[in-house]
Amino acid sequence: MKVTRITATLAAFALAITACGGDDDEPTSPDDGDNGAAEEGEVNRGGVYTTIVTQLDATAPPNPFNPDTNSFLGYNAMRLAWVKNHPTDPSDFYPGLASEWEVSDDNLELTVTLHPEATWSDGTPVTSDDVVLSANIAYTRGSGAFILDPGAAGAASDVEVIDDKTLRFTQDPDNPTGEFVNGIMDMTIVPEHVYGDVLPADFEETLEAAQGEGEDAEEARDAVSEAGEEVASFDPGEDISAGPYVLERINPSEALLTRNEHFHNDHLVAPDQVIVRNYDGNEQVWDYLQAGELDSSHFVAVPEDVVQQIEAVPGNEISRTYSPVVAGLAFNQSYEPFDDVHVRRALAYAIDREQMVSVSTPDGGDAATTTSGIHQEVVDEWIGDAVGELDPYEHDLDAAEEELEAAGMTKEDGRWLLPDGEPFEVPIQVVSGFSDWIAAGENIATQLDEFGIESEILTSPDFTVYQEEMAAGDYPLGFWLIGLGPSPYNIFQRLYGQSNGWQVHAGQLSYSEPGEDGNWKGGPETIEVEGHGEINPGELTHELRTADEERTQEIMTILARATNETLPVIQLWDYINTQFSNTDRFITDPPDDARRVSGVTSLAGIWIQQGWVTAVE
Amino acid sequence: MKGFARRLAGQLARGLVMVWVVLTFTFVIISIMPGDPVRAEYENLLQQGYSPEQAEAQAAMLHRFRPTGSVFEQYVDYVGSLLRFDLGQSLYSRVDVATVLADAAKWTVIPVLLGTVLSFGLGVVVGVYAAIKRSSKLGDMLTMSGSLLRGIPDFVVGLLLASIFATLWPILPRQGAVNILYEPWTVEYVLSLGYHAILPVATYTISAYGGFILAMKSSVVTVLGDDFILAAELRGMKRSIIFRYIARNAILPLFTVFALSVAAVFSGAIFIERIFNYPGLGMLLIDSIGRRDITVMAGALLLITVAVIIANIVADLFYSVIDPRIRRAGDRV
Amino acid sequence: MTSGAPTGLSTTRGDLRRNFWRGVWRVLRRKPSRLLGVALMLMFVVMATAGPMLYQRPLPRDPDNFFAPPSLQHPFGTDFQGVDVLSLVVVGSRYVLLTAFITAVITVVLGTGIGLFAGFRRGRLDAVLMRITDINLTIPGLPILLVLSTVWQFASPWEMGLVLGLLGWGALARAVRSQTLSLRERGFIEAARGLGLSTPHIVFRELLPPIAPYIAMNLLMSLILAVWAQVGLFFLGVMPVIGENWGVMLNRAVFDFGAMTTAARLPYMLAPLLALLLLTVAIVLVVDAMDEVFNPRLREE
Repeated sequence: MKVTRITATLAAFALAITACGGDDDEPTSPDDGDNGAAEEGEVNRGGVYTTIVTQLDATAPPNPFNPDTNSFLGYNAMRLAWVKNHPTDPSDFYPGLASEWEVSDDNLELTVTLHPEATWSDGTPVTSDDVVLSANIAYTRGSGAFILDPGAAGAASDVEVIDDKTLRFTQDPDNPTGEFVNGIMDMTIVPEHVYGDVLPADFEETLEAAQGEGEDAEEARDAVSEAGEEVASFDPGEDISAGPYVLERINPSEALLTRNEHFHNDHLVAPDQVIVRNYDGNEQVWDYLQAGELDSSHFVAVPEDVVQQIEAVPGNEISRTYSPVVAGLAFNQSYEPFDDVHVRRALAYAIDREQMVSVSTPDGGDAATTTSGIHQEVVDEWIGDAVGELDPYEHDLDAAEEELEAAGMTKEDGRWLLPDGEPFEVPIQVVSGFSDWIAAGENIATQLDEFGIESEILTSPDFTVYQEEMAAGDYPLGFWLIGLGPSPYNIFQRLYGQSNGWQVHAGQLSYSEPGEDGNWKGGPETIEVEGHGEINPGELTHELRTADEERTQEIMTILARATNETLPVIQLWDYINTQFSNTDRFITDPPDDARRVSGVTSLAGIWIQQGWVTAVE
Repeated sequence: MKGFARRLAGQLARGLVMVWVVLTFTFVIISIMPGDPVRAEYENLLQQGYSPEQAEAQAAMLHRFRPTGSVFEQYVDYVGSLLRFDLGQSLYSRVDVATVLADAAKWTVIPVLLGTVLSFGLGVVVGVYAAIKRSSKLGDMLTMSGSLLRGIPDFVVGLLLASIFATLWPILPRQGAVNILYEPWTVEYVLSLGYHAILPVATYTISAYGGFILAMKSSVVTVLGDDFILAAELRGMKRSIIFRYIARNAILPLFTVFALSVAAVFSGAIFIERIFNYPGLGMLLIDSIGRRDITVMAGALLLITVAVIIANIVADLFYSVIDPRIRRAGDRV
Repeated sequence: MTSGAPTGLSTTRGDLRRNFWRGVWRVLRRKPSRLLGVALMLMFVVMATAGPMLYQRPLPRDPDNFFAPPSLQHPFGTDFQGVDVLSLVVVGSRYVLLTAFITAVITVVLGTGIGLFAGFRRGRLDAVLMRITDINLTIPGLPILLVLSTVWQFASPWEMGLVLGLLGWGALARAVRSQTLSLRERGFIEAARGLGLSTPHIVFRELLPPIAPYIAMNLLMSLILAVWAQVGLFFLGVMPVIGENWGVMLNRAVFDFGAMTTAARLPYMLAPLLALLLLTVAIVLVVDAMDEVFNPRLREE
């Protein structure tokens, strides 16, 4: 819908790109064998658990590689493990099909052991063969560590079967990254006896050829991705799952999942059945919640008084945890007068962020305390005391006037005029259906209007078009998500990555001039930062991929200062991960760090399989 | 009968021309559409937690199939595959568009027909009454209610019903089509189907009703003016016979209105399904436009067009059967 | 189907006009509801033309009082940032009515032009024009518009009105053609030709006046349809949600602000809905009155 697919999408986006940071539990040691698996607690079994999923498509096959899949991660689709995306520890997981994993000290080797009782729903055991096939399929999709680009960092170079339940993965030692282990454990596992014939018989040879260089390798890579097309459209017919549930039936608005008796941790699985309800727009979720029909839901934006109503329903509970996503207002500095830092600062002073948040997304975010490019929950951790030296850009209309005057503007009859006498206009681009962006954008436009700046919001029909037109440089100002944790690189990649001219090709960083190759922000290539001299923010950001902890903090501090001084983006609000549950039928009580799992939106399946859901007697 | 066949053939030819117009229109839209499926896929992957680079590499890989070649070649290909009833696959689920459409169509066609039939019955009864009592206050009011309801958009009716029965006095569902817990075609399943369909069907009924009342009233008024009625009244024939005569002769033109009404309601389903979150062709069209799933979008538009054309042809044929004079008038170009 | 007072060539037009207005007044007086319709209609016209000028820009608001319940000060409460909802409806009426007006004008010009031309010229051209009219009549306009919105944003009332007009002239063309044909059958054109009148004179002075009532009624009906279509399109949210417009208000109320979830948000939805209903009622009542003015046979004894 479209309307509201997109609203839903934003929620998913906000949650999915996520991962963690600040409020972490103690990092588990990667090789202590226990790996934070659920305690062998008893759960009360029985009952039907209801939760939500977006973009349900009743006609799609139960194939996890289909873009509209009816294999729901955590329910009837399983990964080796669920990545918590700890900011510093690359091997912090909840167990999936793997029960043990060990990373070598140099981070080049990963040994994975499957759960001894892991079994498919047709009774076949889950074996290393399944994992090898799934790794091959991952190559066709270029996902995780399975990238064929020559020189790509963090690519898996070798998969070795040790026995029926144990495998060893090796990373290319020439170009290693810390994301390698995540990239392996993230893999979705499908049964070899169902998917085995989908790949061509000579696939392994093609794969080997594709890992080389030259024309033959090019051709082989094409063949590999063609095989990926086959995989994506494959219909296995019956659902064969190694997860806690199997798809029973589906209609356009709901899917019914029933208990998989063969699931290795079935004793931890409380509900006999799970209903996942579709939502196209957030308001549908509000309705469900208000009726007390959902046993739990992941993050969706909810207006404040609706939250109160939901909270008033007996049994409903709310949890609010950190969400590493930040909403920003980004400038295209190719447009005058936004190339003038005084103008950008003036706008930062002129916008009352507290008011904006209170009318747009009071429950889904906190007004940004400053612009650093980093979520306020974790900014201390990364840059320490330097936070205090940043300009907070508190709401200050006098300061805004000064800045505008410094930019050569004049005020006449209460309206601001550009140096050439034309009225100063600020068009704010937002996306149709992103309700919090629209409300915030409209409020900003209203505030600026009241301050004497002509301003209005313009809406793009959907996110796809928005992204494309933004990249093409069509918008002077638009909303832009930043601070996307957990990794420091991902945080600043949104500011000093491709959108600002720096891109990575085959491991090499290059810079494109504004207006070229998707550089729409058009900021300067080097910035003078007080106390640090001239820096190249793109290079520093790129360095974050491999930097050690001390260097990382140093870079983060420099980049935060640079961002604060030059304002390529005004940081507007920092998202909060608001989730709902109902205690009438089930107690849903996951630990905080399981309220966000990399790449999984509908989280209840993971909570259930870890034993964090129990039926009320 | 020969005239009938010729008329049918003419109508079919016209329908085909229209399908061609819509096809060409869709093709033009798709060719100049800014939304790029590769881009959409990229966002989709980002949502799934891929890093921006991984997502980009993968999106490019997945969408190798973008057609190349000149616009004319693409157009020929496009029309050619449609001639073979090949609507392509959804860019997302990779399921045949025909399958997707069939799945959605059943949720639209049945409620739409049900709503229109109910509306037809209601409109005929009230329309006869309004015609007979046309000089009285009540008849006047009934006619007025018809004019007003015909003027009120279906989405307004839908919104009002939703706010009354789903928000202020929440007794009816505004979400979904059937409870998944029930096995298909058990008693509970059918009851659940009906329960979820009440608001959409009621909306269809109410929004189509105005047209029927007015049509029936004017049709009855015409029949009342017939010499037969005058003569019968003069001779003091039984009221029931007169009534039967009126009903039989006045209802015929209504079938034409019925067919046209189905066409209108079919388009209106886009609003109703959106308001009641009811799956169907309208919802499919909106979703596919939002996601830029262009093959599904083109298919849904085509199917809606074909449905409307068929309804029109049926209406026209009814018309010609009922009133042979039309045939002559139609031929006299 | 008879037309209005036959335009006898000898009668002076001044007399006719006086008689006409007297007839209008009589018709209006007979049913008070028709007076109400005319009053409502005038109200909306004033609202759309002068209304936006009543409010200073930016619209006054009270940021601490968002989503306020209806009160004397704010009859329909306030919106998400404390702006009076009534002021939004008034300001939003301009886009809605302007679009409707543009649509109606385009519909009338195209419909009348094509209908008159086809009916007057007859022959092959008539056949071609009528086939095109058929297509225009049958084509499902709403889905087409939705698909069209993927490449065109309809930001201004002019664009929106143009598209709606282009999609909606068929019915009028049809009606005008059959009227023209019936006038022709009654020997109108031959008589005029016999008097040596030029073609433009025949078309504009002799054919057009008796058809005018149909055109006027059609103008009103296409106003309704245009209001309907554009508000609906914006409501669906497939179109970009831009600026001040009743459809945008409805969309935001239902899909962003939870009007369907919490009754407290209903006023924000009901305000544009009520405006839409009143506008429809106004047009229906006026059409009812016009029907009787132009179709004397319908007048009760």
